[in-house]
Amino acid sequence: MNTEITVSGRPFIHQHAAHCESGVTSALFRDQGVEVSEAMVFGIGSGMFFGHLPFIKWVGMPITTFRSRPRTLFPKVAKRLGGKFFTRQYRNAQKGMIELRQALKDGHLVGLTTNIYWLSYMPHRFRFQFNGHNIIVLREIENGFRVSDPVLDHPVDCSYEDLERARFARGPLEPKGFMYWAESVVENPDFRRACLEGMKESCYMMLRVPFPFVGIKGMRYLAKNIIKSPERLGFPEACRRLANVVRMQEEVGTGGAGFRFMYAAFLQETAELFGSEELAELSQEMTAIGDIWREFAVVSARIVKQRGQATDTFAKAGGLMLICAGREEQLFKDLDELVRKLRS
Amino acid sequence: MKAKEVPQDITFYEGEKRACYALNDEGKYVIVPSTGWEYEAVVNGLAVEELAAHLEETRRAVLAGMVSPLCYHMESRQMNPQILARTAGIAVFRVKRHFRPEIFARLKPALMARYAKALALSVEELKKVPEKNVEKGNNK
Repeated sequence: MNTEITVSGRPFIHQHAAHCESGVTSALFRDQGVEVSEAMVFGIGSGMFFGHLPFIKWVGMPITTFRSRPRTLFPKVAKRLGGKFFTRQYRNAQKGMIELRQALKDGHLVGLTTNIYWLSYMPHRFRFQFNGHNIIVLREIENGFRVSDPVLDHPVDCSYEDLERARFARGPLEPKGFMYWAESVVENPDFRRACLEGMKESCYMMLRVPFPFVGIKGMRYLAKNIIKSPERLGFPEACRRLANVVRMQEEVGTGGAGFRFMYAAFLQETAELFGSEELAELSQEMTAIGDIWREFAVVSARIVKQRGQATDTFAKAGGLMLICAGREEQLFKDLDELVRKLRS
Repeated sequence: MKAKEVPQDITFYEGEKRACYALNDEGKYVIVPSTGWEYEAVVNGLAVEELAAHLEETRRAVLAGMVSPLCYHMESRQMNPQILARTAGIAVFRVKRHFRPEIFARLKPALMARYAKALALSVEELKKVPEKNVEKGNNK
């Protein structure tokens, strides 16, 4: 853990987080004196999700996502915990940068949405054209800003040019310099109610959205697709698709198995909050599911690496995913029932 | 996943660490920093190799006079014509047209400057491609 001093003179403790948006949101709340962990934010904001969108292509491959859309988690958490946030987008890059400086001068801890490619402090292989990365700016330094990026385990420096490019990058999901800071928060928010709302929505998203390709339905669709893919697409192309799914699952921002563990951590915390045995059991089940997701990644990576000589097959990889789908379905059904019984 | 099982393989994080949620000995969730996972490196390596191979192909095509250096620099920034067009404020069909070397060679300095700014390069850099194959790492 690293302590930094913000412009307002308050100490800021940089905490390492698994996911950028939940990390930033929890840091903003903590700075306002509301102790809330990253996992808690992730659960309250209904970050849990699954979607496989075969018709939307990203670098030529269908998108698979393991979490909710970028920039939906933060507003949900703000609403459910009763925080008032200043949010603003800019058309003009210069104006956006001037207002950022002004906000820092006024002593705010500012959250920004950026494009991860232009943040040159990131390790090279994390840098790709993705417009949904969130960071916190602590204060201005010479030629740049001191930045707390929750994905890294220490605060970093970011140059002025880099940040301007990153904030005003173009392309899908343009950040348009999106900037936010806390205006006021409720001192003792009703965590129980917020958790229930978050869980309720997650259950809906995973089980009952009337649209194919999302939630458990999406998982099953993708699993069956993977099993059939070597015949339909040929072995090399099937490998590419499979590798892409695993990449989406394990890499920064979309780490699928990581999100399952984070949700398990959330369930564990809520179990304490409600004093509920059942929630603790669900947390353990979620951990077990996360482990299967990891096994899926291992099996897939072996298929990709050994090019058909391995004993692992696409059927096995797809089968593992079907197991995940089945168990997650049961878990969310149980959670759905439980949520109806629990009282805030 | 238990805290002890959090992978600590040295892969491509360049000394950085990632946070993983794992159970400690008492069965409570804690954040454990991870230095990388070999299986993740496999799939990431595949994607990086593919990009690099594609970029090298484009570089050769530029040297052979088939496409303009603009195409190479766009790909080295991991952009596609749509993103480049929006960043530079030039219509997609014009960007695609400027991939033709003979048209790119006649571009006005003002347009050149806009592309250079969009790609964070100098105009000089934009006009040529590296003579030798660049080392791994998808950006400089």
